[in-house]
Amino acid sequence: MEKHDAAKASPNVLEFKGVSVQFGGVRAVNNVDLTLARGEFLGLIGPNGAGKTTLLNLISGAMPPTSGEILFNGQSIVGISPDRLCHLGISRTFQNIRLFPKMTVFENVALGLHARPNYSLTDALFCTPRSIRREKQNIERANGLLDLVGLSAYAKKHAGDLSYGLQRRLELVRAMATDPQLLLLDEPAAGMNEDECGNLTKLIRSIHQEFGFGVILIEHHIQVVMELCRESRIYVMNLGEILASGTPMEIQNDTKVINAYLGEKRTTNGRTRRQISRNC
Amino acid sequence: MTFFLQQLVSGISIGAIYSLLAVGYALVYSVYNFTNWAFDAFMVTGAFAAFYGITLFFMPFAVAIVFSIVMTVGLALFVETTAYRPLRARQAPRLFMMISAMGASLAAVNLANILFGGAFRKFPDIATGAYRIAGVSVGKMDLFAAAFSCVVLSLLWWFLERTKLGLGVRASALDTVTAGIMGVNNNKIALIIFGISGVLSAVAGVFFGAKYAVFPYLGLVTIKAMIGSIIGGIGSLVGAVLGSLLLGILETMISSYVSSVYRDLISFSILVLVLLFFPSGLMGAKRVDKL
Amino acid sequence: MGYLSTICVLSCINIVAVLGLAILTGYTGLFSIGHAGFMAVGAYASAILYMHFGVPFYLALVLGGFAAGLSSLIIGYPAFRGAGKLRGDYFAIATLGFGEAVRLLLNTTYKYVGGAYGLTEIPGLTTLPVALGVAFLALIGAHNLMRSEHGKNCLAVGQDEVAAQMMGVNLFTTKLKALFISAFYAGVAGGLFGFYMTYLSPSNFGIGKSSDLLAAVVFGGMQSLIGPVITAFLLVGIPELLRFLLDWRLVIYGILFVVVMVYRPQGMLGYREMNFRWLWAAIRWLKPGKPKQAN
Repeated sequence: MEKHDAAKASPNVLEFKGVSVQFGGVRAVNNVDLTLARGEFLGLIGPNGAGKTTLLNLISGAMPPTSGEILFNGQSIVGISPDRLCHLGISRTFQNIRLFPKMTVFENVALGLHARPNYSLTDALFCTPRSIRREKQNIERANGLLDLVGLSAYAKKHAGDLSYGLQRRLELVRAMATDPQLLLLDEPAAGMNEDECGNLTKLIRSIHQEFGFGVILIEHHIQVVMELCRESRIYVMNLGEILASGTPMEIQNDTKVINAYLGEKRTTNGRTRRQISRNC
Repeated sequence: MTFFLQQLVSGISIGAIYSLLAVGYALVYSVYNFTNWAFDAFMVTGAFAAFYGITLFFMPFAVAIVFSIVMTVGLALFVETTAYRPLRARQAPRLFMMISAMGASLAAVNLANILFGGAFRKFPDIATGAYRIAGVSVGKMDLFAAAFSCVVLSLLWWFLERTKLGLGVRASALDTVTAGIMGVNNNKIALIIFGISGVLSAVAGVFFGAKYAVFPYLGLVTIKAMIGSIIGGIGSLVGAVLGSLLLGILETMISSYVSSVYRDLISFSILVLVLLFFPSGLMGAKRVDKL
Repeated sequence: MGYLSTICVLSCINIVAVLGLAILTGYTGLFSIGHAGFMAVGAYASAILYMHFGVPFYLALVLGGFAAGLSSLIIGYPAFRGAGKLRGDYFAIATLGFGEAVRLLLNTTYKYVGGAYGLTEIPGLTTLPVALGVAFLALIGAHNLMRSEHGKNCLAVGQDEVAAQMMGVNLFTTKLKALFISAFYAGVAGGLFGFYMTYLSPSNFGIGKSSDLLAAVVFGGMQSLIGPVITAFLLVGIPELLRFLLDWRLVIYGILFVVVMVYRPQGMLGYREMNFRWLWAAIRWLKPGKPKQAN
């Protein structure tokens, strides 16, 4: 399978070299360099409008860069269509949930398994044994994935009818169904309270440990990012540029980051507290 | 050579009618991202209103045009408020809006067919006769139509570029949500946009009816306007005008050498070719989905 | 009996064509107002193949369907190729153009086709059993297709094509497949129509016919096969019974399109999987036997 052959070719699953994106007069992304090793968990934080989602859009093929190189498993992926990139192993969730509202939870997940059909139209038309066999496989695997995230009970419900938290979970498992090597998560914890954030963090960590794919996580809930990236790196973006990168400890103490994003140190009653800066 | 020029003139005159329609179409498209299928009904209303205005009420031509505009704008606003606004408010998928628009079109056009019958009606002689310029015959009505179209389009340009309301319309074209937050009254803008569309369709309908004939299915011409808009680049108003003129000229030229019966087939072929080789049209802007 | 038989045959023909449009519009979300054009291609192709080239009836029907399918690529290929929001509207406009272009071509071609005079003396090979059989097969086929991976991909494209693409669905091939299949169905329906009416004229296949088909899908329900099938039958039967409304048919449909979209976009049976659970439940309920014990 081409996916896993390519995996052996390069130590880095993803590389950005001098990538820029220009919309008219605006530089949404300015000369970004980035590497992601195999199986690594990368956090990406920054104020709104910093270019984080644009970065994800570049990786998933939604738009091409104006300049620079993007390498996936050592090969350039610029100009490759999003569906082909998905087959190569890149999968994502969206900032605004984009589930298929009138399809069931099961169908949403199963899509990842058969976006590229596994049997022909004639097989489908005549319900050949081959197609029946494949459908059984799909059912098993999709149900397995639903079990993994605790959505089995909702399998037959329309995705649009689910609560917000469950929808986020569904988006996550749908993205996993494509068997990715690189998973892009765009604010999966958006709009969640502390409890929900905690549950989500646990879920993402266990999935990452079990499947071992590379992850790039965009999040505004700093606790989630710090927790998940405890043993790896975080990139901080601002105004289209990488401001800093390093371990959570390092970036927390980086002055540039503090000023741009995490907020100035304030001294109250002899204790210093950090406030999230107003512009997130 | 004169034959060529004659066809050119003829092509421009039909192209002018197409461009009026195309601008109305492109305006709605650029703001709301959907195809107003009902605008063939607007055109029919314009044509019939002017026709009956002249024949039943003996209005002078100028008054008939105004009357036709009033009736058409009325229909346009009615369709907007009943068929489009409720769906827009719900952010209904574009397919649903297209179906609703189609419904409005079907209802209006077939109602006209029932009420007025399918007979082809000729406008009474208004400005018949032609001038001869450099050996080419230019119909008086065609000149008038072209001149009037220029005036209307210039007024529209002035409105969009130089007035505050026009600015609101252009803002909505770029980003309806943000425009709304910035204080643009989206419902009012919708009425204005459809009103303008109504005016343009009415004038196009009147001149088309005067040039050819008035009958309930004359709205089928609007597909030429849509093709013209695609040629020029969907969403671009200037493109709509240029594309429609070009379509009118090409269509007339080619059909004069082949056979006028195949006119529509030629436009369709042009559409397919444009989609194949110039998908963004002459001036089309690429739109990126927000993810 | 003959009258009822006519309604049944016409309903079956309508059902086959409507199934095609349901796949294209109801599932894949592609608006088409030119499907009568595909019916026309299939109708004329199968009739001509049978009458002038000695092709056997059923093969002629299938070939007519293929002819319609191939003709659909003329608009499908250019319209689906690019990306962006604009494409759905391009396709819709192209279908309108296509329907009219086909009609124009048929009106002006006289060799084999008969031009505006039409094609006459087609043998009446579409009997009631034939129509029922084809409609039944068509329904099974459509059901199998939509339940398969291909069908689910079409569904995803219809719901959110951007997300579908991100999840690995090839938009171009999926849409093209849906279009080809739906055109094929329309072509076969057209063939049946020709061999029933024994006479074909380009005027049979105008926007009115395309609107009839669309009405069955819209009223019957999006993302459903059984809804449009039932509606296809009703929309043949009701206008026959209410003859006086015939002229008003399209006006009523038009108004109903708006009303349905505003008040009940799911139509009659939209978004419901066709299954027979209700049938088993009804059978169990009707079976005499031990009354159920309350738990």
